[in-house]
Amino acid sequence: MAKAGNPEGIEEKRAMLELGARRELPELKELVVEASRALARLDANRLQELALSCQALNRALVPANADERAVLASQAREATEEMAVFARVLEATRANLNVMNRLRELRAGRLEYGQVGWVPTESRHGND
Amino acid sequence: MGTINSAFSLISGALDADQSALSIVANNVANANTPGYTEETPNWQQNHPIEINGSSYGDGVTETGATSLRDSVLVARLDQQQQFASASSARLTALDNVQALFTPDSGSTSSKAGDIGSDITSFFSSFSSLEANPTNNALRQQVLSTATTLAGDISNAAASLNSQRSGLDQEAAGVTSQVNSLTKAISQLNLQIQSTSPNADAGTLEDQRNEDISQLSKLIGINQITTENNGLSITTTTGQLLVSEGSSLQMTTGMVGGATDFFLGGVDITSQLTTGGGELGGYLTARDTDIPSVLSSLDQLAYNVSTNVNALNNTGTDLDGVTGTVANPLYIFKEPAVVAGSAASMSVVMTDPNQIAAAGLAQGTGDNTNAVAMANLANSSIVNGQTPTDYYSSFVSTLGATVSGVQAENTAQNASVTQLQTQNDALSSVNLNDEASAMTTLERSYQAASQVFAMLNTIMASALNLGDQTAVS
Repeated sequence: MAKAGNPEGIEEKRAMLELGARRELPELKELVVEASRALARLDANRLQELALSCQALNRALVPANADERAVLASQAREATEEMAVFARVLEATRANLNVMNRLRELRAGRLEYGQVGWVPTESRHGND
Repeated sequence: MGTINSAFSLISGALDADQSALSIVANNVANANTPGYTEETPNWQQNHPIEINGSSYGDGVTETGATSLRDSVLVARLDQQQQFASASSARLTALDNVQALFTPDSGSTSSKAGDIGSDITSFFSSFSSLEANPTNNALRQQVLSTATTLAGDISNAAASLNSQRSGLDQEAAGVTSQVNSLTKAISQLNLQIQSTSPNADAGTLEDQRNEDISQLSKLIGINQITTENNGLSITTTTGQLLVSEGSSLQMTTGMVGGATDFFLGGVDITSQLTTGGGELGGYLTARDTDIPSVLSSLDQLAYNVSTNVNALNNTGTDLDGVTGTVANPLYIFKEPAVVAGSAASMSVVMTDPNQIAAAGLAQGTGDNTNAVAMANLANSSIVNGQTPTDYYSSFVSTLGATVSGVQAENTAQNASVTQLQTQNDALSSVNLNDEASAMTTLERSYQAASQVFAMLNTIMASALNLGDQTAVS
């Protein structure tokens, strides 16, 4: 895992940035799998690096020649399954984030009103 | 009460409070590696002010016990995700075993289920060879030999599937005692918690209860209902009561139709447990849905190949000039009566190669009309509107897609569990991270991942369009 301030991390970041400049296209499938893994580990630094490399890759797509386009099309087809997994992990993360945000609200309510134990905050409807 | 004793009381109270806090910290450190242990924080209670010579000195504090840093909502979410992940893991393991059966093994010399596709081709090709020389004994032997290989591989595959199903049945039945043991332990902990800490966090006891619930979540799908005085009731996901505060209901098993069914209070809850989650849900889904579906497809293939080949052979003329009758049919395969069980019972009943009816009805024995018709079955839509080879390919592809889908589901669920565990560890475990930091990481990760996803999506869409253009040009 790349960490801020870590020489390996800097090297990794540079390598990822150079992806777009290289004529050899990176394996899309590897990128998608790596993104899913990083998201599972909640490795925000790695995900930000991947976002940068995807930007670079996107720029590199424009002048691609016919051979590269064909290779990339083939890679895109091969990565479809991994992309579906990534979408699911992203969806699960969104749900988890909602839960955590809800928890934060509950705790804030507890601190504010000195509530002990779990008390639902939506007590403003009806006569409850 | 302005006395020196009061001052001592103030100081010693503070020292006692510090000491209690230190012992809680020590407890946290000692239990840092205990599974399910939740960090405790000291509670400080304000004391009455002390007056000395008319002046009021501080409030003083008394340590009044520890509160665990846990959050029941997060723990419940973690347990719920764990149920899904455990179910898909158990199902995936079972499906991997099924898929392995149908994977061709190029390095093996012995025939196996994975060779069924090539067995079908070889069998019908043997009729094509016979067309050229319908009286040749070696070619006739070849037809029976390839038929035997095909029937053997299909029946062995069915036997292996039934064996896997039986293994899953035993695994599922074995979960019952673990579930009963956990629900009993939880009900006892409920009693202890309710008697000792009806209005506050019960610390270690609550850790134990959470750990037991977490274990239970890996086994079956459950719902948790918080009750009065820190009590807890647990039901299956469809509402059958497992634990009601201080009492638990024991799950029992019984054989129904050759498989283990599960009962709670005399009610058969097998189908509810199948959809509920946990290892048991995964085992039951594989046992009652996945494997029967594969077996059913294999039965259909065996039934249609056997009945179509038998029907044609029975209407032709064999090398001895005989045509099959109702009383004395000329069958190559054992004729199945119904589709169900056709794969398991598929076998070759013909022993004399002369009985292969290569000639057409009322034709001389040198005729090949019927051999041509039987060879043509390879390209006829005789299995659910598909040729035998296409049907088998489609069946293997469907199985592969199912495995792939469950794999994707399992990966995502495990990822979700990992994320929640990270959040829970940050909140509950003994470490230096705090909740705010954990939340920030979660938010940053989600935002960065959303960007990566959007860009990858764009890249893939562009790549596929570019690829299409290349193909056109």
